[in-house]
Amino acid sequence: KEHLDTIARREVIQKKKETAANAQAAREREEATKKKMRAQQLLEAETQRLAEEQREREARRLKAEQQRVQREEMEKQIKELKQGVKGVDIDSLDIDELDTGRIRMIKLQALEKEKNEIGEKLRITGKRLDHLERAYRREEIKHLGEDYAA
Amino acid sequence: MRPILLSGHERALTQVKFSKEGDLIFSVSKDHNACAWYANNGERFGVYKGHQGALWTVDVDPNTVLLATGGADNTIRLWEVKTGKLLKTWEFGTAIKRVEFSEDGRLLLGVTEKRQGQLSTVIVYEINPDPEAEQTSEQSLRIVCDELPKVTVAGFSYLSKYIITGHEDGSVSKWDAKTGELLQNVFVHDADLQVTDLQWSQDRTYFITASKDKTAKLMTVDELEVLKTYVADTPLNSAAITPVKDYVILGGGQAAMDVTTTSARQGKFEARFYHKVFEEEIGRVRGHFGPLNYVAVSPTGTCYCSGGEDGYVRVHHFDPPYFDFK
Amino acid sequence: YEEEDDIDYSDLYEQYEVQMEEGLDAFVVLDGLPKVPAESAGKLTNFVLKRLNTAGKTSSERFFMPIDEATNMTGGYAFVEYETPAQAIAAVKSLNGTALDKKHVMAVNKLTDIERYGREGRIDEEYKAPEIEPFVEKDHLRWWLGDHEGRDQFVMYRGDNVGVFWNEKDGQPDSIVDRQHWTESFVQWSPKGTYLTSIHAQGVQLWGGPSWSRQKRFAHPGVNLIDFSPDEKYLTTWSHRPLQVDEGHPILSVEEDGKNYIIWDLATGKALRSFVTLDMPGPSTDPEGNPIKKKLQWPAFKWSADSKYVARMTPGQGISVYELPRMNLLDKASIKIEGVVDFEWAPATPQREGIKTYEQLFCYWTPELGSNPAKVGLMTVPSKEIVRTRNLFNVTDAKLHWQSEAAFVCVKVDRHSKSKKSLATNLEIFRVKEKGVPVEVVDSIKDTVINFAWEPKGDRFVLITAGEIPAGAAVPPKTSVSFFCPEKAKGNQIGNFKLIRTVDKKNNNAIHWSPNGRFVLVATVLSQQSFDLDFYDFDFEGEKDEKDKDLTANLQLMSTADHYGVTDIEWDPSGRYVATSASVWKHRMENGYHLYDFKGQLLREEPIEQFKQFAWRPRPARLLSKEEQKAVRKNLREYSRQFDEADEARRNTANREIVEQRRRLLDEWLAWREKTVQYLREERED
Repeated sequence: KEHLDTIARREVIQKKKETAANAQAAREREEATKKKMRAQQLLEAETQRLAEEQREREARRLKAEQQRVQREEMEKQIKELKQGVKGVDIDSLDIDELDTGRIRMIKLQALEKEKNEIGEKLRITGKRLDHLERAYRREEIKHLGEDYAA
Repeated sequence: MRPILLSGHERALTQVKFSKEGDLIFSVSKDHNACAWYANNGERFGVYKGHQGALWTVDVDPNTVLLATGGADNTIRLWEVKTGKLLKTWEFGTAIKRVEFSEDGRLLLGVTEKRQGQLSTVIVYEINPDPEAEQTSEQSLRIVCDELPKVTVAGFSYLSKYIITGHEDGSVSKWDAKTGELLQNVFVHDADLQVTDLQWSQDRTYFITASKDKTAKLMTVDELEVLKTYVADTPLNSAAITPVKDYVILGGGQAAMDVTTTSARQGKFEARFYHKVFEEEIGRVRGHFGPLNYVAVSPTGTCYCSGGEDGYVRVHHFDPPYFDFK
Repeated sequence: YEEEDDIDYSDLYEQYEVQMEEGLDAFVVLDGLPKVPAESAGKLTNFVLKRLNTAGKTSSERFFMPIDEATNMTGGYAFVEYETPAQAIAAVKSLNGTALDKKHVMAVNKLTDIERYGREGRIDEEYKAPEIEPFVEKDHLRWWLGDHEGRDQFVMYRGDNVGVFWNEKDGQPDSIVDRQHWTESFVQWSPKGTYLTSIHAQGVQLWGGPSWSRQKRFAHPGVNLIDFSPDEKYLTTWSHRPLQVDEGHPILSVEEDGKNYIIWDLATGKALRSFVTLDMPGPSTDPEGNPIKKKLQWPAFKWSADSKYVARMTPGQGISVYELPRMNLLDKASIKIEGVVDFEWAPATPQREGIKTYEQLFCYWTPELGSNPAKVGLMTVPSKEIVRTRNLFNVTDAKLHWQSEAAFVCVKVDRHSKSKKSLATNLEIFRVKEKGVPVEVVDSIKDTVINFAWEPKGDRFVLITAGEIPAGAAVPPKTSVSFFCPEKAKGNQIGNFKLIRTVDKKNNNAIHWSPNGRFVLVATVLSQQSFDLDFYDFDFEGEKDEKDKDLTANLQLMSTADHYGVTDIEWDPSGRYVATSASVWKHRMENGYHLYDFKGQLLREEPIEQFKQFAWRPRPARLLSKEEQKAVRKNLREYSRQFDEADEARRNTANREIVEQRRRLLDEWLAWREKTVQYLREERED
C-alpha cells in the first residue's frame, strides 16, 4: 500500500514534472517565437528606416538638382533680359530672390513697355510726317496759279 | 456662346427649324432622315424614318403636333411629332424643295422641282390639325410656274393672304394665296443668281431673302419693297431675322467645288450677324467645316442654330452680353 | 454707276473708226485774217463766216479763232469745221486767196494737208503746229494738287470699272470719278501724275483735269505697253505686232508701217519716229526646235533724266542715243560698245565734283570677251566721254542699280568660282559725285543676292540673299535680309558702307522703300505660302544700341503684318501710306487691297471681286523753294496746331453724322413698323 502510494506519488510527481517541463518547453517556445518576431520587427524597422533615409536623400538630391536647373534657367533668362530687352535695370535684381515666373513677368512687362514706347515714338513720328506733308502741300497751293499761267 | 453640337446626321444638313416654343429643333439631311432635338441640351428627341431619298425641307406646325418633310423621293410626308407616326404621304412627279405651314397651321405649301417637261409648281393642302384625323389628298391650290423661272423658295404671308416665292433668276414674286393669281414679280438679287432662302419676321409682314449674289435683303410683303440690304463676301444659303433684338443672321460659304484652293480661310464658313436697321456687320461665329446650309433662330430669341454641309447642327445660346448690346 | 453716261463712246469709236479716216478732213485752217482786239472777234467771225458759208455749211460754234493772251488780240488765223469733207475741199478750192479787204488775203487750207505737210519735216522749225482739239477750253491739269487737306489720289481698276478716289485719313475713300470700260487692258499714270492713260485696241488716251476729260489720244493699233519721258513731254507706245499702215492714213504715215515702237510728241500729238523691236541675242529655238519666248526688255527706249535723250541698246553691239525733240541719232551714229549687256541712265543729272557743266550719264556693262575682262563703264552724254571704267572677273551676271539722285550706282555682280560652280555676289558701288568716281566693294556676301534697293534720296540700302536651292525642293529657299548704311564720317563726307544687321530665316523677296526714304517695307509677294510684310524704320527716334553708335542709322522693326495672296505693293507719294493688293491678274484668291500706314498699322482691308490694279497718283516735284520749305519746317508747330484742330473737328462731325444717320434710320424703321402693325391689327379684325 505504501509502495503503491509511493508509486502513485512518484507518478504524480512524474506527471507534475512532465507538466512542468511541458509548460517550461511551451514557455520557451513561446519565448523563442516572441524573440524571433521581435527580431524580425527590428529588422523590418531597420530596413524601413534605411529605405526612408534613401528616399530622403534622393528627394534632397532631386531638389538640389531642380534648384540648380532653376537657377541656371534664371541666370539664362536674366542674361537674355540683359541682352535682348531694353529698359530693365538688371543690377537692382537679386537672383536669389527671384523665381522664373517673376522673371518671365519682368520680361513681359519690359517687352510691353518697350512696345508701348516704340508705339508712342512712332505715333509722334507719324503725326509729324502727316503734318509736315500737309503743311508743304498747303503752301504749294499758292504756287498753283502761277503754275497754270506758265 | 458655347455651342451645343447635334451629331447624329451622317450627311449634309439641308434645313433646320425651331418649334414655336423654341424647345425643339427639327433637322433634315441628305441622309434621308429627319430628327428632333431638345434645344437646351442637344439630346435627341426622335427620328422620323421612311423617306427614300435626300431630304430638302422640313416644317413644324404652330402647335408642335404635325411635322412636314419633303425631299428627293418626290414625296411630302406628314408625321406626328410626339410619336413619330407617319400620318400621310403625298406623291409628286419631281422632288420637293420646300414645305411650309401657314401661320395658323391650317395650310401647307410645297414647292416641286422643275425637271424634264415638268414645270416647277407651288401646291397647297388644307391641313386638319388633329393627328387622328384623315388628311386630304386634294390640292386646294396649284400654281404652275410657266412664265417665270423656277421657284426655289416659298412661304405664306400674314393671314395666309399671299404666297411669296423666290426664283432661280434672283427675282421674288407675290401671289394671291386664294386664287393663285400672280400679283407682282420684282428683280431683287443679281440676275441668274438664285434666291436660296426666304424667312419671315414674327408677324409675317416682312421677310428676308438670301442669295448666291452674296447679299440678303429685307423686304415688305405689301409692296415687295427692299427695305435693307446686307452685303456679305461669300454666296449666301440662308438668312434669318432675330426676334427680340434687331439683328439678322446670314449663313453661307463657298461650296467645296467652287473653292479654288484648299485653304480653309477661303470658305468663310461663318454665321454673320448684322444690325437689321443699320445694315452693319456686328460679328461672326465660326465653327463649321463646310458651308452653312441653313440658319434658324428660336422664336423666343434666346438661341439660334445652323446646319452645315459638314453634317453638324450647331446650337448657340446667346450670352447675356448679346442682350445688352445696343 | 451714274457716271457711265458721261462717257461718250460714240466719240471714241468715231475717233478710231471714222475720224481717223475722214474726221479731220472736214476741217480747214484760215490764215491771213485781220488781227483785231478780242472784243471785236465776234464781229470778225460773222464777217468771215458769211464768206465761208458760200462754199459749204459751218457756224460760229464750229469756228475757232485763238486769241493771243499776251496782246489780247486775235492771231490772224482760225480753224473751221464744215459739215462734210467735200465742203471743206470746195472751200479750199473756191475761197483760198480771197481778198477780205485791201490789206488782207485769206488763205484756206485743209487741216489734214497741213498735218501731213508738217509731219514730213518739209516746213521750217518756226512753224507753229496747229492744235488738233482747239475747241476745248484747257483744264487746269494740276487741279488735284490744290486739295486743301493735302490728300492723295489713287486709281483702282476692278471688273470693268476704273475709279479714281481721294484717300481719306480716316474712313472710306472718297470717289471722284468711276467709269465703266474706261480702259481695255490697264491704266497708267504719267510720271508727274498729270494724265491717266487708258489702253485700247486702237491706241491710248490721256485723261485729266477736274472733269477727267480726254486730253490727248495716240493711235497705235494693238498697243501693249507705254512709257512716258520723265517730263511728260513724250510717250513711247509699243505693240508686239508690227503696225500695218496703208497709204492715206490720217495720222500714221507709211513710215510707221511694220514698226513696233512709236515715240510721240505729247504737245502736238505727232509721231516723232518709229522703230521695230530688236531681237534679243541667243537662239530663237530650243534644241527640240520649239520657239523660245524671250523676255522683253522694257522699257527698251530709256529716257535720260532731263528727257533730252532717249537711248536703246543693240545687245552686244552698242547704244543708240536719240536727241529730242527731233529724234535724230546723236552725232549721226550709234555708240559702239562691244558686248554690251545692259545700260541704265542716271535717274538725275549728277553734279560731279570738279565738273562745271553737268551732263547726262549712263552706266553700262560688258561681259568677258576673249582675254578681256568684264567691264563696267560710265559715259557722259552728249560729249560721250568715258568717266570711269572698272574691270571685273569671274562675272556670271551683273545688275545696275542707280540711287535716285545719281549719287551712287551699285553694280551687283554675281560671281562664280573658278570651277564655275558656287555663286557669290559682290557689290561694286561707284561714288559718282566724288572726285574721280571712287569705287567701294562690298564682298562680304556669301549667298546670291536676289534683290537690292537703294534708299530714295538717301545713302542706305537693303538687300535680300537666298541660299542655293536644293535640287527638287518644293519650297523656295529661306532668304536673309541685310541692311546697310554708311559709317559716320567727318563733314559732309559719306563713310564706308557697313552692314547694320542681317535677319535670317525669312521668306522675303521684295523691298519697297518709302518714296522719301527712311522707312522700308520688306515683303513676300507672289508666293503660295507666305505673305509677310515687315515694316522697318532706319531712323528710329529711340535709344540706339551701343554697337551701332558709329552707324548713320538706328534700325528698328516697327511691325509685321500679313496680307494673304499679296501680289503688288505701292507707297503713296507722301510716304504716309502703303497699299498692298492681290490682283486677279495673278490669282483668284481673296482679291482686293489693304491699306497700311507707314508703320505697318492696318487701316483698311477691302475685298473686291475682279480686283485688278491699284495705283497712287504721282505728284510733280515740290513747287516750294528750299527757303519756303525751311520756313514751313520752322513754323511746323503752328501748322500742327491747325491740323490737329481740323482733324478733331472732322472726327466730331463724322461721329455726329453717324449718330444722326443711325437715329434717322431707326426712326424710319420704327415709323414703318408702327404703320404695319396697325394695318395688320385692322386686317386681323376683319
